Amino acid sequence: MAAPIISIAKLSKRFSTRGRASIEAVRGIDLEVERGEIFGLLGPNGAGKTTTMRMLCTLLVPTGGTANVTGYDLMTQASEIRRHIGYVGQKGGMEPIATGRENLMLHAQLYRMSRTEAARRIDMLIERLQLAEFADRKAETYSGGQRRIFDLASGVINMPELLFLDEPTTGLDPQSRTRVQDEVRALNKQGTTIFLTTHYLEEADSVCSRVAIVDHGRIAALGSPAELKKQIAGDIVNLGYDDEEGVAAASSLMNGTRLVLESQRIGATLHLYVNRGDEALPEIMRILGQGGRPPKTVQLSRPSLDEVFLKLTGHALSESKKED
Amino acid sequence: MLRDTYLIMSNEIKVTFRNPFWIFHGLVQPLIYLVLFGPLLNGVASARGFPSANAIQFFAPGLLIMNALFSAGFVGFSLQDKVECGFLERLRVTPVRRVALAMGLILVSSIELLIQSTALVLCALLFGLRFDPWGGLLLVALILLIGIAMASTSFTLALLTREGGVLAGVTNTFVLPLLILSGVMLPVTFGPPIIQALARLDPFLYAVNAARALMSGAILDGSVAAAFVIFAALSVATLAVFIRGMREAVA
Repeated sequence: MAAPIISIAKLSKRFSTRGRASIEAVRGIDLEVERGEIFGLLGPNGAGKTTTMRMLCTLLVPTGGTANVTGYDLMTQASEIRRHIGYVGQKGGMEPIATGRENLMLHAQLYRMSRTEAARRIDMLIERLQLAEFADRKAETYSGGQRRIFDLASGVINMPELLFLDEPTTGLDPQSRTRVQDEVRALNKQGTTIFLTTHYLEEADSVCSRVAIVDHGRIAALGSPAELKKQIAGDIVNLGYDDEEGVAAASSLMNGTRLVLESQRIGATLHLYVNRGDEALPEIMRILGQGGRPPKTVQLSRPSLDEVFLKLTGHALSESKKED
Repeated sequence: MLRDTYLIMSNEIKVTFRNPFWIFHGLVQPLIYLVLFGPLLNGVASARGFPSANAIQFFAPGLLIMNALFSAGFVGFSLQDKVECGFLERLRVTPVRRVALAMGLILVSSIELLIQSTALVLCALLFGLRFDPWGGLLLVALILLIGIAMASTSFTLALLTREGGVLAGVTNTFVLPLLILSGVMLPVTFGPPIIQALARLDPFLYAVNAARALMSGAILDGSVAAAFVIFAALSVATLAVFIRGMREAVA
C-alpha cells in the first residue's frame, strides 16, 4: 500500500498570549490519511480543527510533534508541500476589487504557471464549474455560493494531490451547500485527496469516508461514519423534563432496569441507550408513569454522529462555546 | 523572486488604481494642504524670526515630507483588509517567496508616493515654487527612503495589531508628534527649549531641513547628509523587520 498522504504524530500547538497563560489549542494529535480519502475533522468551534489544518497547510508552525504531508516534512520542507497542496480557507481569499478570472490568474502564476498555461487551466475550470457568467465580474459582487465555487477553483488551480477545505460550507444556503459538496465529491473522484473541517454532522456523515471527532484539541474518536455510529448500540430515547430535578428522579427510576444499556443526563433531558427503541419505549413509559415521573416530551432516535459526539464528549456539538 | 515581486506588484497596482477613492485620498488630500494651508502661511511669513520671506519656499518642501509621512504611514490599513478577506493567507499557501510579498507591497506604496509628490510639486509651481533640479532629484531619493521606512513600519504594525481600530490609535500616536516636532507647519525655533530638544530626536526634523536645503540647491548642507544617513538606516531596519514579519506564520 502506498504511503499515507498525511501522517502526523503528537502534533501540538500552543499559543502564547501576552500576560495570560498560554492556550493549548491542539494537544498531541496522531493521524494518518490515505490517498483518495475524503477525510473530515469534525468538532465544535474552538476544538482545534482549524489550528490543526492551518499547521498542515504550512500557515502555522507547530510547537510540538512531527508531520509528513504529501511526502515532505512539515518542519523542513514547507515550500515543497505548498507546491503539492491546495487550500481554501474560511474566508476564501479573493481580492474583492479584482475579477474572479484575475484572481485565478494571479494564483496560477504564483504556482509558476506561464500565462498561456494558466489561461488554459482557468478556462477549463471556469467551464467545468459553470462560472463563465461571473468570471469577468469583480469578486465583491459575488454571492456567498458563487464565491465559494471560485475559491474551490482557486484551491485546485495547481492540480494538487491534496486539497484542504476549512469549513467549506459554513454560512452557505442549503442549495449552495449541496452544490459545494457535490463539487468536493467530484474532485475526489478525479483523484484529489480531500481533508476538510466541518461542524456539520450531516456533512461529515454524507461527504466523508472517514471522520475524526475533535474536542478540546484531541481526537476523541476516529473511523468511518458507519463505524462511529456503531459505537452506539441500539437506539436512543430522549426524555424531556421541566428541570434537572425531574431528570435526576427519572434517571434513578430507570437505572437498574435491564432495558437501559447506558444513560446520560444533559440539562433537562435524559438520554437512554436501549437495544430496541420500539419495544423499550412502552416499557419505559410504564415505569416512569408508575414512579410518578412521566416525561414532558419523548423522542426516539437512531444513532447519528450527533449522538456519537454527545456520548464521547458529554456535550452536544451545537452547545459548545464559540471561539476558534 | 523577481517574477513573484512583479506579479504581486502589478496585481496591487491594478487593484489600487481601480479604486475610485484613490484619487481622493491619494491625490486630493495632499493638495488640500497645499491649497488651504499655503495661503495662511503667507501672513506668518512676514513675522519676525520666520526663516524665509517666501512662504511657499518654506512650506512646499515640508509638505512633501509630511505627505511621505502620512501617505506611507497609513498603508497598513490596506494590508489589514487583505488579511481580513483571506487574500494574504491565500497567497501564503502558494509557493510565492515571502520576500516578494513584502517587496511587492513596498514598491506599490513607493509608486503611489512618487505620483503624489509629483502632483504636489506641479501644483506648488503654480504658487511660485522654484527649486534646484539636482537638489530636486536628491529630494526624490530622500522621499522614497522615508516612504520605505514608514510603509514598512505601518505594514508591520498592521500585522501585529490585526485590528483597524488599534492600528489607527497606534499610528496616530506616533505620527502626530513626529509631524509637529518636524517643523513642517511652523519652525521649531518658535518653540521653548524643551520642544527644541525633543525635536532634535525627531528624524523628520532632519528630513524637513534637508528638503528645504535641497530645494534651494544647498546639496552640501549638513542636514542633507544627516537625513540620508538616518533614513537609509531606518528604511533598511524597518524593511528587514517587515520581511521577517511576512516570513513568520502570521495572518
